[in-house]
Amino acid sequence: MIARVWQLLVVVLAGAVAGCAEDASKMRFAQNAAIANPVHRKARAVVEKTLEEHFGTPLDSVAWLKLPVNYGKAEGKVKSVDGRSVIVDFNAETSDLESLKSPELSRAGLLFTSGANQGESFLLASYDPSEKSFETLLPLKTAPAEGDQFVVAGQNLRHGRKLYARHCQHCHGINGDGDGTTAKYLNPRPRDYRLGIFKFTSTNKDTKASHDDLKRILSYGIPGTYMPSFVPMLKDNELAVIVEYIRWLAMRGELEVQLLKDLKNDYAADRARKEAKESKASTSEIENQIAKQLEEYVANPTEGLAAFIETVTGDMVSAWEGAETADTVIMPPVPRVPDTVASRERGKALFVKTDGGKCINCHGPTGRGNGFQTEDFQKNDAAGGFYEKRGLHDAWDQPIKPRDLTRGIYRGGRRPIDIYRRISQGIKGTPMPPVAATVKPEQIWDLVNYVLSVPFESVPRKAAKAHSVAGQPSEHGNAN
Amino acid sequence: MRKFWCAFFVFWPIVAIIYSIVASMTPSLGWWFPGASVTELGQRIDNLFYLILYIVTAVFIGTQIALVYVLWRASHSKDERAWFSHGSHSLEVIWSVVPSVILLFLALYQMDVWALFRVQAYFPKEARDAPIAEVTARQFEWRIRYPAPGKKLQLKPQPDDLYDVNDLHAPINRAVMIQLRSGDVQHSFFLPHLRVKQDAIPGQIIPIWFKAEKQGIFELTCAELCGWGHYKMRAQLTSEREVEYEAYLKKLQADQNYDGHATPSAVAKKDE
Ligand SMILES: [Cu+2]
Repeated sequence: MIARVWQLLVVVLAGAVAGCAEDASKMRFAQNAAIANPVHRKARAVVEKTLEEHFGTPLDSVAWLKLPVNYGKAEGKVKSVDGRSVIVDFNAETSDLESLKSPELSRAGLLFTSGANQGESFLLASYDPSEKSFETLLPLKTAPAEGDQFVVAGQNLRHGRKLYARHCQHCHGINGDGDGTTAKYLNPRPRDYRLGIFKFTSTNKDTKASHDDLKRILSYGIPGTYMPSFVPMLKDNELAVIVEYIRWLAMRGELEVQLLKDLKNDYAADRARKEAKESKASTSEIENQIAKQLEEYVANPTEGLAAFIETVTGDMVSAWEGAETADTVIMPPVPRVPDTVASRERGKALFVKTDGGKCINCHGPTGRGNGFQTEDFQKNDAAGGFYEKRGLHDAWDQPIKPRDLTRGIYRGGRRPIDIYRRISQGIKGTPMPPVAATVKPEQIWDLVNYVLSVPFESVPRKAAKAHSVAGQPSEHGNAN
Repeated sequence: MRKFWCAFFVFWPIVAIIYSIVASMTPSLGWWFPGASVTELGQRIDNLFYLILYIVTAVFIGTQIALVYVLWRASHSKDERAWFSHGSHSLEVIWSVVPSVILLFLALYQMDVWALFRVQAYFPKEARDAPIAEVTARQFEWRIRYPAPGKKLQLKPQPDDLYDVNDLHAPINRAVMIQLRSGDVQHSFFLPHLRVKQDAIPGQIIPIWFKAEKQGIFELTCAELCGWGHYKMRAQLTSEREVEYEAYLKKLQADQNYDGHATPSAVAKKDE
């Protein structure tokens, strides 16, 4: 009885709260401000519209079947067509029908796998579970025939989004921009996925992170950062859908960056002002001209926006798909060189050699992460010129410190193979370079043996004192 | 109105007592306390708890009867005046001495359990001599460091130490000790099935021991609100036979030494 009253009370209160948050359904992904700011606002609007078309909004996400994301799928075939309504039958064995009853299916993606529309993908406008019929968002060019087979996808995306919202969003943000509400209290900052770069991967230097790489991070966390392990709290299938959602967010962010960078060439934010200065035309005339030009660009089927998206997504798809193939995974060609004093010494010699591995330049002579590069002004390749602050920066323009190897904290994992991969292929998005081209595998193993021995090297007393500024001896705990 | 209050104060204790009887007689309802502890010490802690519960129940019933008796008598007679006991020396002595005796009894009676639970000198020797792991709580996970098989846990990390996260393993029927630390703020190491709860305090190493007498996977959670991600600190204790425990350490060792060539016993047991 009492429980019942409480239930009612909770329902009433929830209703009141939902009333306030009515606009939640209109919530949008925020634009990548750092990259969008120098772009003309009309071009920015085009990008926003394009992305919304292909990815939807945070609460109404779209399974864009072109992308190599495991959206989860249900297969079926057409029974009959009634005007715009297509009556269908799902193959129960292959589908998760329970989740298809959800009205959220309205934004799932549909792909015909046979018939006149084979290979064409559509967004669903509505699905009626009682009639087992759906309508597509855009009219079908050719009416499907009875027996045409199709795939509807999206359950994983929805499941992933819900879990992401609960466990990840407060740090990594709704947009996957690493700018959630708690992010500003964290050092290092949570990862911003929108460059499509993840640091700790098993794949080679030119390839994306694989699904398993990301799952490993969720399972083991990243020591020395605020990224915790989510196992055993989350089950295997839950980790998998979160990973797919994160990959989807990363691809969305990447496409956004590419579109904005491309449009910046012709549609800079200050174009109207600049051109008005140079010519006799008024700014409003030029603004009109820009609007017209953009319209043409969007409408042009062969050289316009559609073609650009085609190329960019094509590259993106092959990059992400490549990460899932076995030949991009870095496996050392030789087993680990036995961890002997001689091997460590060879590794150390290589470590401090300024024309060899160059480790010393950043990690310093004793591996404390205090090499001279940390005190130098560094080039900003993306923006040109130099960074204002001394020291190293990462691809996200954040200051970054070379790892203090004496602490024995290995963010990307402490297994020999993890360290081998870090040295061999570098760390993506950071100044840590791949050395595989110049250093032989046996030598990399020597380096691994040395690096793993650094926390246990006896440090001469004087040197130890000089470094005791940091206060703590090299014990594991919370590093910065 | 007087009758109403009389009924009101008689109603609630009866409800409470009926609830307790029904709940304790039919554990399947899940209204009573959690099931028996899987450690002997836990059962002794439970026994102390129940002892206090019985005392409190007796006092509760006694005071409720007295209260209702007073109300009932007063509701029947308008003429009878209340007796003011204020200042009665003998009454004050009684209500000071009786609870003191009960409290003193409890304080003495629980001492050996407390010592066994908290005072390192009273820990079983086999546990004290060989701590099996160091558990470091941090926002928001449990990082675990085991000594290599056949070695002793050292205060400082050793090159062959084994690491895991959120997955503490311990052999059954053996008293084991772990060293509890915190990497940042205050946490609390809580094994509800084993009745073990101990705060992890930054800068301190706190020994805890337990002897699980049942095989299985038991919840390990943080019982101290330690930040916004407090709920994420849900780990597990795997209590297993000695051979399985050794196999676990061996597997951890193989995984940790994996170089891409040695057969990975399981490249990542968490990816299964
Ligand atoms: Cu905690």
